[in-house]
Order: sequence, then structure tokens, then C-alpha cells
Amino acid sequence: MAKAFKYGLKGITGYLEPAERELLRGLIDDVVSMLEPREAADQDPLAALVGLDLDVQAPTDRALLRLLPNVMKDDDAGSLEFRQLTERSLRESKIGALRAAAMGLDRKELTLTQDEARLWSMALNDIRLVLAERLDIRDEADADHVHAMQDWSQAEDVESYLALVYNFTTWLQESLVQSMVAAMDRRS
Amino acid sequence: MTTTVAAGTAIGVDVEERTETAEQSSTAVLVAPDIPWNLVVWNDPVNLMSYVSFVFQSYFGYPEAKANKLMLEVHRKGRSIVAHGAKEQVEQHAVAMHGYGLWATVEKASSAGTGKGGARG
Repeated sequence: MAKAFKYGLKGITGYLEPAERELLRGLIDDVVSMLEPREAADQDPLAALVGLDLDVQAPTDRALLRLLPNVMKDDDAGSLEFRQLTERSLRESKIGALRAAAMGLDRKELTLTQDEARLWSMALNDIRLVLAERLDIRDEADADHVHAMQDWSQAEDVESYLALVYNFTTWLQESLVQSMVAAMDRRS
Repeated sequence: MTTTVAAGTAIGVDVEERTETAEQSSTAVLVAPDIPWNLVVWNDPVNLMSYVSFVFQSYFGYPEAKANKLMLEVHRKGRSIVAHGAKEQVEQHAVAMHGYGLWATVEKASSAGTGKGGARG
């Protein structure tokens, strides 16, 4: 069984079983493949170089829209214009955090610096946002319902399996954030 | 810590040409950067309260008490104004919040509805 992250003399440490590492790698790969920008053949290479994407549209997939939200609530045109300037680099920074977490999973010891821990917490958060969309978590009641699924012997179908995976990543992120807060308190 | 976005700087906007006509410079006055904008963070059932507070502390440098107050306002009222400033500045904050997975939008300070946080960014 995995052990919660904690902050101690060695820094922020955790422990994951090989199967749990494999599970997280799979989730990371899924989210990375959602975020990887499509490479259009006729794309302007200079625009791509500076992070511009003039063909971009707001994502139709709800999970992807949650990862890359509109910047204005009631201004689709303004949001789209902003998206053209920023979405590519946002995708890249999210992919960067996810890849950093995947690299951490390849190490034998799960000891994280504060910066690595920050990238891990971002990666776990994006994984949870995607899982939550797949589980149709729309409000606190939905979240409580999913949270009640704690027993792996209950994993009978895709939805219950996803709920258990969601709860595992929630638990992992919570312990990581607590460790980061403890590290921040120690430093100040 | 911050995600810097070089919006508008790297695409070679010709400043001279832009300020040549009177009509365009009056537009520039309308979008003057000192018109205050708000950064709004919205509630969602996924983000951990501890994480949201951590992001407010580590990204904005807010003390723990202020970060918790804003986080609870997001949680209870559905939204909170967590920073304000020039449009480009709050837009940069919004991208950083999106990087952390928080649901953030920008809005003109005058159009602020309920849930005013009164936070000085």
C-alpha cells in the first residue's frame, strides 16, 4: 500500500507500490495526450515558435475545457482572442508538470524537492479534474457520493473503478499539499 | 513560481504604426492599463481546499490567514475576487491559476457582482 506524503528531515517523501506507480503513469499519459497540441501541416512555424495559435477554438470536450478554461465569463470573443495568445503555452506548462511527475515515478526513492512537489501537485490536480469530468462530478453532493467509494472490492464496473482511482489521487494530493504547507511553514 | 506569458510582446506589434492615427490612439486611451480589473476564482467540487489555499499563499504570497479567508469565500459564496490590477496583470494571474488547475476568470472591476473579496492584489 502507498504511504501518505510527509515532510521530514529528508524533505517531502512518499512511498508508492509498483502497481500504483504504473497506475499514475497511465493517468499521466492520458492527460498528456489530451493536452498535446495537434500539429497542423499548414501551421505557421513562426506563430508556433512564439506560442501563437490563431486557429484555436474553445475545447468541446468538457474535461479539456476544465483544464483550459475561458478567461472571461461572458465574453466568448475576448476569451478566444486570449486563448490564441496563451493556450499553447498553458498546454505546454501543464504537460511539463505531468512529465516531471512521471520522471519522479521512475526514481526508486520518492523524495521531492519543494519545486518538484509543486509540479506533482499540479499534475495530480489536472488528473483529478479529468477524472472528475469522466465521473460527472458537478457539485459537492456528487463529490461526496464518489468519495464514499473506498473499498477496492467494490470495483465492479468502469465507474466504480474510476471513483476509486479518483479517491486514491485525492488522498495522495491532500497528503502532498499538507507536506508542502509544512515545508513552507518550516522555511518561513 | 509565476507562469509568464509574453502576450503581445513577441509578435512584433509595430508601435509606431499603431500610434499614427488619432482614432487609434483614442482607442488606446480606452484600454489604458490603469483601468482596474478583477481576478475571480470560482468554486468547483474537485479542487482541495488545502490546495487552493496553498496556491493563494505560494503564488500571490498572501499570509495563511488571508489565503484561507479567500479560499473559504470561494467555497461558500461560489466565487471570490482574489486580486486586482491592470488588465494584463490579472490576465497573467489567470493563466497562472489555470496552470494550477483553478477555475479563474478576469472581469472589469466596475462589473463586479456579488462575492467581493476586497483583496488587494
